Order: sequence, then structure tokens, then C-alpha cells
Amino acid sequence: MQDANQLSGDLEFQRGIGQQGSSPHEVPSLPVGQWLRKNLFSNWGNSLLTLLGSFLALLALRGVLNFVFSENREWDAVRTNLRALMTLSYPESQYIRVWVSLGFVAGLAGLSAGLWANWGGVSVKRLSTWLMGSGGLLAVCVIVREPSVILGSDGKVVRTVDGSPQRESFLDAMVDRSSWWIAAAVLLALGTLLWGRFTSPDRRGVEVSVTSVVFVSLGLALLSLWVAPYGHYAFISETKSYVAESGRTVAFSTKLPWTVMLALLCGFFYLGRILRRSDYAGIIKGASNLLWLISPLTLFWVVLRDPALDYGHVMSTDLPMGLAFGFLGGAVLWSLTRPGVGEAGRLVATMLLGFAIFNWVAAFFGWYPMLQKARISFLLLAIAALLAPNFIGEIAKRRQLVLSWLGVTALVHYLATMINTPSTVELQSSEFLGGLGLTLFVALIVVLLSFPLGVLLALGRTSKFPIFRMLSTSYIEVIRGVPLISVLIFFSVMVPLFLPDGMELAELAAVLTGYTLFSAAYLAENVRGGLQSITKGQYEAADAIGLTAAQRTGFIVLPQALTVSIPQLVGQVISTFKETSLLAIIGLFDFLRVANSVIPAQSEFLGVKREGILLVAMIYFFFNFTISKYSQRLERRVGLGER
Amino acid sequence: MASSAPQSIHHERPPLYRDVTVVKWVVQVVALLLTIGALWFLAKQAGDNLRASNVPTDYDFLSVNPGIDLSSGIDTDPDTGGRALWVGMVNTLRMAIAGIFVATIIGVLVGLARLSNNWLLRKLGTVFVETLRNVPLLVQILFYGAIFASLDRVSMDVGPINGWLHISNKGLSMPRVHIADGFYQWMIVIGIGLFAANFLRKRRIAQQDLSGEETYPILSAFGLIVVIGILGWFVHPIFGFVGNIFNSLSSVVSAIPEGVLQIVLALLSVALSGYWIRGFLNSRRTPAGLAKLTDDDYFRMIFAGTGGVVGAVFFLFLWPGLSSWMINSGTDLFEVLSNKFGNGRSGRPIDVALPDVVQVGKFPNYGPSGLNFSIGFAAVFFGVVFYTAAFIAEIVRGGILAVPKGQTEAASALGLRRSTALRRVVIPQAARVMLPPLGNQYLNLTKNTSLAIAVGYSDIVQVGQTVYNQTGKTLPVVSIWMFFYLSCSLSISVIVNFFNVRMRIVER
Repeated sequence: MQDANQLSGDLEFQRGIGQQGSSPHEVPSLPVGQWLRKNLFSNWGNSLLTLLGSFLALLALRGVLNFVFSENREWDAVRTNLRALMTLSYPESQYIRVWVSLGFVAGLAGLSAGLWANWGGVSVKRLSTWLMGSGGLLAVCVIVREPSVILGSDGKVVRTVDGSPQRESFLDAMVDRSSWWIAAAVLLALGTLLWGRFTSPDRRGVEVSVTSVVFVSLGLALLSLWVAPYGHYAFISETKSYVAESGRTVAFSTKLPWTVMLALLCGFFYLGRILRRSDYAGIIKGASNLLWLISPLTLFWVVLRDPALDYGHVMSTDLPMGLAFGFLGGAVLWSLTRPGVGEAGRLVATMLLGFAIFNWVAAFFGWYPMLQKARISFLLLAIAALLAPNFIGEIAKRRQLVLSWLGVTALVHYLATMINTPSTVELQSSEFLGGLGLTLFVALIVVLLSFPLGVLLALGRTSKFPIFRMLSTSYIEVIRGVPLISVLIFFSVMVPLFLPDGMELAELAAVLTGYTLFSAAYLAENVRGGLQSITKGQYEAADAIGLTAAQRTGFIVLPQALTVSIPQLVGQVISTFKETSLLAIIGLFDFLRVANSVIPAQSEFLGVKREGILLVAMIYFFFNFTISKYSQRLERRVGLGER
Repeated sequence: MASSAPQSIHHERPPLYRDVTVVKWVVQVVALLLTIGALWFLAKQAGDNLRASNVPTDYDFLSVNPGIDLSSGIDTDPDTGGRALWVGMVNTLRMAIAGIFVATIIGVLVGLARLSNNWLLRKLGTVFVETLRNVPLLVQILFYGAIFASLDRVSMDVGPINGWLHISNKGLSMPRVHIADGFYQWMIVIGIGLFAANFLRKRRIAQQDLSGEETYPILSAFGLIVVIGILGWFVHPIFGFVGNIFNSLSSVVSAIPEGVLQIVLALLSVALSGYWIRGFLNSRRTPAGLAKLTDDDYFRMIFAGTGGVVGAVFFLFLWPGLSSWMINSGTDLFEVLSNKFGNGRSGRPIDVALPDVVQVGKFPNYGPSGLNFSIGFAAVFFGVVFYTAAFIAEIVRGGILAVPKGQTEAASALGLRRSTALRRVVIPQAARVMLPPLGNQYLNLTKNTSLAIAVGYSDIVQVGQTVYNQTGKTLPVVSIWMFFYLSCSLSISVIVNFFNVRMRIVER
């Protein structure tokens, strides 16, 4: 939550070193000697700093390498538990559902990337610098890592008299790591080759598209799954244990799905590229956005849970109800958008809203029974009716409103039915989905739900109505003043207390509510920053052309305010994702909890914690780093910071 | 024609439900009522449910022995629940203050490294920042905790510097610098030294302004303090008479009658609010008369006035115990002070105690003489410090980059040295940009110490959780958390605002 300004810092960074960083092919490259003198040894103080810095860096590198490759590390604990880390106890036999979900997301990501982004290129010169740099770094790593221990014929570490493990000599170690040397040499050679070919003045600006670089590196990583002997872990269902067979490539059930994922990603990317130029690009873009919005819910509740639909109930209750809401609500909306409906429209909308709110109050007190679906539908209908005045007029506009109402109703009723139906997936524990899957689900839901709430709070805080302002301000300040963990504990422990008899909320739902409410307060502050940057003239101009307050906010103010606050909003997304790790403290099995408590409790890996936590850290880093880099690209494209 | 013109622009008052003002206020009041109603309903529901499960919501547990042991803190075996929570608060504050201090130093250094001319330092700074801020704090804390837990068993022979610095699976232990016999008397000498040094500094500055020659004001003032401090190390016993003064003050305070103090307090409360309102009105006064007051201003004044009267009533009638408490504690305070300064204290002001390892029962652990940090403390401390330092580094870098290049160029054109230019030109301007986000980070650090619950360091949240697990009083404990953290937030923002106002560009 707290690091919303991390990206604005980056913004300044871009501005600050833009002269040297953004267009490397325009700066004539210095010979190596001059470059070193300019950047590392310009005076004696600088040289001293360089020496000190390189000493520290080598020391840190050596520490990290020794830690990772130490004979005491049990990486088997992580390798055997990869599935537990990803999905916890999701049954083996149903795993195809996980792959289908992932494949859907991969395809959608590829499609959106192809449809939307102008990815730009990376100059070959920079690419070659990367290659040479990573080759050099690899070589340094090979040298600084301490020599490995000697394994005796019984497979145990040979120890000296005082008990410390005996290590091979430096030269032996260097010879043993020959494959790493070869890799480093290949990288260096590749880099040098590219450098030599593309730094002549006439080819200086040659660029490779970013996407092809990404796809090729992903492809190489995948290829290594097929050829490199990472070690194969097989699950033996009789003994319910994993058996490690080192020295073989990864199991077919792992590498095949990942290959399909990459194929889907690439395929849909190029499909998106083609579709972008077609006449229906607008519709397809809208559809892909809509899919992003509903896919987390659908994947989590429908695909992964495989609800056991009772078709008799569906035909007798669910379908008629959905149809009734769809068509009767559509008829109401159709009549509300009649030209000349006047005051009556507002009156009906207000009454509908009152009835919808009353339904929820009644539910709380248990006055009369009503399906949750119906309550939600009434609320949505009331909102649609309130929006209806914006659609009064031509047939096309009215049709648009009614059709979107039908779509929303269908979706809501479909999801609600599926969520209420029990799952057919046989669970091995009380947790339906844990691990990284749970983390991603929570992060996505919280971001999606807290966004509208945060925008509302920000509008409330900047509104001219003193009571609204006071309410939103005190809410935001109180929430921002307390740590997330206390809010989560409050919601996971206290929510059952606040509910009336007979009403229950699953712990996950309670935690999601608390987290969303927390996140919304921070989001509101970011949006408020954007709102305050809108000049008074914009409001006056909107008033001058006769827009209503809602139209002014929706069409003039918010679009500009949200664009301005993109960096902060992305920072908010990153911190929301980071703080899902707190779920581990309050007893949900996210993947940090798996690494921190589940694996160390297994009899064969008793107390093995650090390996799992390191993997978790790396996964978090990968996601967050990618998002923040992408948002920097986005900022540059939107032209933020240049105004 | 002329008479009908006003009629043509005469506005028909709209019906009540279309009147903007009416609708506006009705909507707001309804929203307020709904919110209050919802809160009231939830509170009632919670009360009912709690009563049904036989866990009444009260604060009795604060004075009952909770029967818990804390892993670290000023009192590891508290005899009441309140005491336990108090230990937790002290632990949190300790961690927060130490963390803010260290994180600022590291953050500034890394931020400067990221702006350095040196390519290697720049890259190292980038790696530091990007790694630490993209990995969740909790993951980092758990990782440090796991690493510390896997260190060697505690013993006197294991430690980087035997007898001085020990790092083991029981945490870290190092020499404790602590106050000894003559400390308070020595502080009097230091106080005098500070006063004299300030005087010297001002004189030197005046001299420098007059003659134009470098007189090293700061350096000489610092030197004077050091000289006086060393001198005071030996002569401090002569201040033994101060103890007698405090002794007589103590008897004066104990002689004050309670009723008088009560009335004085009430008057003070009213006077304070009156003074504030006067000052506030004065601040809104322009040469053209009193400026137009907004709703907010009226609200503030009404709030201050009501606060004053309520305070007066409170002091006079509702809390008569306060004055006797004040008199008693005042007497105690002066007695303690007279003890601290008492005659016959002639030892060293400051002493150093080396760490040791003692065996209590089955397991060896660090003894109380050294300065010990448990694993939990070390894990949380390193976690919050490095994590916050990464953000502070970004803030520092952004702040310095925000100073226009012309400023540095102008400074060097004036002939200022690089260091002087940095100190006098760049940093004051950068600080203005840096301060608000920096305050935010300090606040975050304070809140983030609550993750201590994951590694079992007894901060307020961890202690609170233990307490409510024992007593079932969840709601009161949560309310204490909220109160504590909100007051922390408030104090930090008040401090930051104070500096913010002081540093603001003076506009005419």
C-alpha cells in the first residue's frame, strides 16, 4: 500500500538520466579504456569508491552463491513441493483444469499484448551489451563461488578432523564448472559478435522488437525443460509421495503444458497483431477487456471448481429467474429511456434504489427470505435505472442500454448460480485452492473491487458536500493510520461477531472484504492526487456545455484524473500484490505459508524453510519487477512527466 | 416595459424535491444517518453476540494477570494485561525509532550512490533498491528469521569478537553502554557546555560576518563541548547540591491543596482554548479587516471553544482524582530527581558492560549485562530497515533530481565549493520535496513493525493477540491497537508538518 510513490520516483529518474539512457544509439560509444576512466576512475576518490564497491559487490555475490549452492541447501524440498507451492492440495487428477485456466490467461494475455501495446524495439547494441554483461557476470560468479565439497563414495560429505567439510582445490573446482564456463563464453561471444556487426555507423540504429526478444528467451527457457537434466519428480499415488529421479529431464506432464502455454501466448499475440488492423478492432478490444474483468471470477469459481449443476433446479428456478430479470428489467429500462419520460423516470429509479437497499437491510434482519441473486439484480437494476437518463433518445442508444443490461444479467446470474453450486472436485483438505493460485486470486479480486470503491471515496473526499467529505476523509485517514495486519485480523476474527444469527461468511470472503476496504483507502488517496491536478477550467467548460454533474465527472474529470495517476495506481497494484503475503499470518494457505509452514512440517524436509522462502521471494520479485518496468513504459507512452 | 422586466426574470422557486440546496442537504443527512445507523447496528449486533457467548466487552483484563510470557521487552513476565500491552507498545516504539534512524542513514547513502558519477556505485544502488522494494517485507522478515534461527548454538566461544560481539541462534549481543552513578550531574555540565558553545558559535559567526575571515563557528563550538565534557567527567560531583533543591521543591509540591489545583486546571483549559481562538482569529486578520471565515474555520473555533469548556467541566467535577494524582506524582518526581542528583554520587557518568552467556535451567542464553537483540527483533529490524531504506533512497534521489540544474551551476558560479553548494543550496531545496514522502515512509515503517507477529517478537500486535487468545477480549484489544497506531500516525504527521512549515519557502 505504502509505496505508491515508488513509481513517481522512477519517473524522475527517467527525466534525470534521460539524456544518457533513453537513446543509446545516438551517443557515440567510447572505447573501453576511456569508458572505464570516465565512469569508474575519473579521480582518486572515485577509484577508491570503485575498489570499495567492487569488493563489497564481490563479497555479496560470493555470499549469495555460497548460500544457494551450499551443500546444506535442500532444494529437493522446493522441487518436490512445486505443485503444493502453486496450488496446494488441488487434486492431481483434475490438474487439467489448472492448465486450462492458465492457457486461457496466456492466450488472453497474448491477444491483449498484440491488440494494444506498441512494444517498440530494443537496439541490437543494447542487446549485445546485455549478452556480454550476463556472460561476464556468469564468469565472475563461477570464479567467486567457493569450491564445492567432496562427496565420498557413500554419497556423504567428506569431513576433515575438526568436522568442517573438505573442499576441492580451486583449480579442480574451475575444471568441474567447465559447462558454466562454456555458457559464459557462448554469451560473451554472441554479444561480441552482435556488437561487432551492428556498431558500424550505418547500422547503428538497428532494432529488434521487444516481443521477439521476450518470446525467444521464453522459448529457450522452455527448450531447456526438454533437454536439460533438471531431475524428474514423479508422484506415486499408492504411497502418496514424490520420488526424485535426478539426471532426467522434467516430467512430460510439466513440460508439455508449458510448451502449449507459450504456443498460445505467441499464437494469440500474432492473432492480435492481425486483428488490430481489421475493421472490428474496436469490438475485439472491448471484448478482451471484458474478458479480463470476468475471467478471474469465472476461472476460479467455474473452471477450477467444476460445479455440479442440478439441472432440475436450474430449469425450475435459476433460468426463469434470470430470464425474468433480464426481460422485465429490460422492459423497464426501455420505457425509462422513452423520450419525454421526464420526472417519472427519476421517481421510478429512486424508488427502485430504495427498494434494493431495503432488500439488503431486510436480509440483515431476516425479515423475509430472498435469493441473494435477486437482491444483487435489484441493486444493479436500480443503478441502471439511475443511469438511464443518459440513454434517452434514439433507438440505437436505448437498444445499447437494454442489450448491456441483458448481458450483465446473464453474466451475474450465471456466476451466482455457479458459485452457489457445490464443487465436484474432491478436495484433500478444507482449503479449496492455496499457494500461488490463492495469492493471485486474492490480489486480482482486491484490485478489481477496491478500484470503484477507491474512486468513490476519492470523489467523496474532494466533493463540495461537507458531510460526504467528512465521512470519506475520516474513513480514509483511520484506515491509513492502522497497519494492514490489524485490519485483516479484525476481519478474520471479528466479522462473525458483527453478523446477525444465521448469516455466515467464509473466512476467505471476510478477509477479501477487509483487504478491499483497506486497499480502497490507499487507492482513494492516489486518485485524489489526480483529481486535484484537474484545473478549474475543465469543470467550468463542462458546466458551460451543459453537462450534468455525473456526466462531468464521468466524461471529463475522471478520465483525466485517472490518466495522471497511472504511476501511483500501478504502484498501488504492486503493493497490493506484495501485501497478499500477509494472508500467511492470518491462517490462509498462500504460497508463503506453504513455504514457511507446510514444507518445514513434512517429515522428509523437517525445518527446511529458507529454500522455499527464497523461491517465494523470487516469484514476487519477478511479478513486481515486470509490472513496474511495464508501467514505466506505459508512462513514457502516455507522455506523463512531459507536461 | 420597465416595470415588467423584473417579472420576466423572476424565478419560480422549484418544487422541494428539485431544489438543489434542499436535495443536497437531505441526501447528506440521510447518508450520515445511514452510516451512523449501520455502525450502531453492527455495534449492537457485536454486543449481543458477545453477551450470548459470555464474553462481555470490558477492559477488566487490563488489571488482571494474563499469565503470559513475552519474548523480549522491558518486562518479560508482566503481572497485568495492561502492563503486557504497555511492554508491547514500548517494543514497537523502540523498533520504530531505531528503525527510522538507521533506515534514514542507509537510505540517504544509497540514494546518493544512485546519483554518483561512479557507474559501479550507481548499479549497486539500483540493484539494492529494485531487489528490496519488489520483494514483500514479510517474505524478507521470514527469510532473515530463518537465517538467524539456523546460526550456531549460543556460547561464549562463538561470536565474531569473543566477549564483545556475539551472533548466535539466540540473537545478537554486544556491549551495553549504560548510565552510571554520576550521569545526571554530568548532564548539568554538558548543558552548561551546550549553552556556552551556542554562545561561542554566535559570536564566531558575527565575527566572520564582520571580518570576512573563516572562523570555523561549528567546529569551535563542537570543540568547546568536548573540552567541557571531559572537564565535567572529573568535576561533576560539585553539582551535588542540585539534589537538595529538588528535595525542597518536592515538599513545596506536596503542600499544594487539591482544590486549588483543580480550579487552576479548569481555568487553564478555558484560557488555552480562548487563547487559541484569539490566535486563530488574529491569523485570519488582514490589513483590510477580518477575512471571510469558511465553514471549516467556524467549525474549528466551535470545536476549540467546546473543547475548552468540556475540559474545564471535566477537571472540576468529573475527574477529581487527577489533581491528587498530579500532586502525588509531582512529589514523587522531584523526590526521584533529588535522589538522582543526590550528594555522594561521585562515580563515572557512563559505564560499559560486556555481554555474557548464562545458563538458566537447561539452555544457555545471553545474560542481562550485554545489549541483546533477540532473533525476532533482529529479523524485523533488518527487514523494516532495508525495506524502508530502499524507498527512502528513491525519495532522496527524486528530491535531489528535482532541484533545477541551474541552482548548482549558479552556486559554482558564485565560487561555492561542491560540498558547500550541496549543504547550502541543493539539500535545503531538495528537503522541501523530500519531507512529505519521507514522513509517509516513517509512518509506514512504524506500521510495518506489526509484521513482528510472524517471527514472534513481542510488539503490540503480537502481545495483543496473545492477550485476546487468553481472555477472549478481541474487541477491546483491537480498539487499543487502533488507538495506539492512530496516535503514532498523528504524532509523526505533526512532527513532519512542523518541519514542513519551517522549511516552506517564505512567500510575500
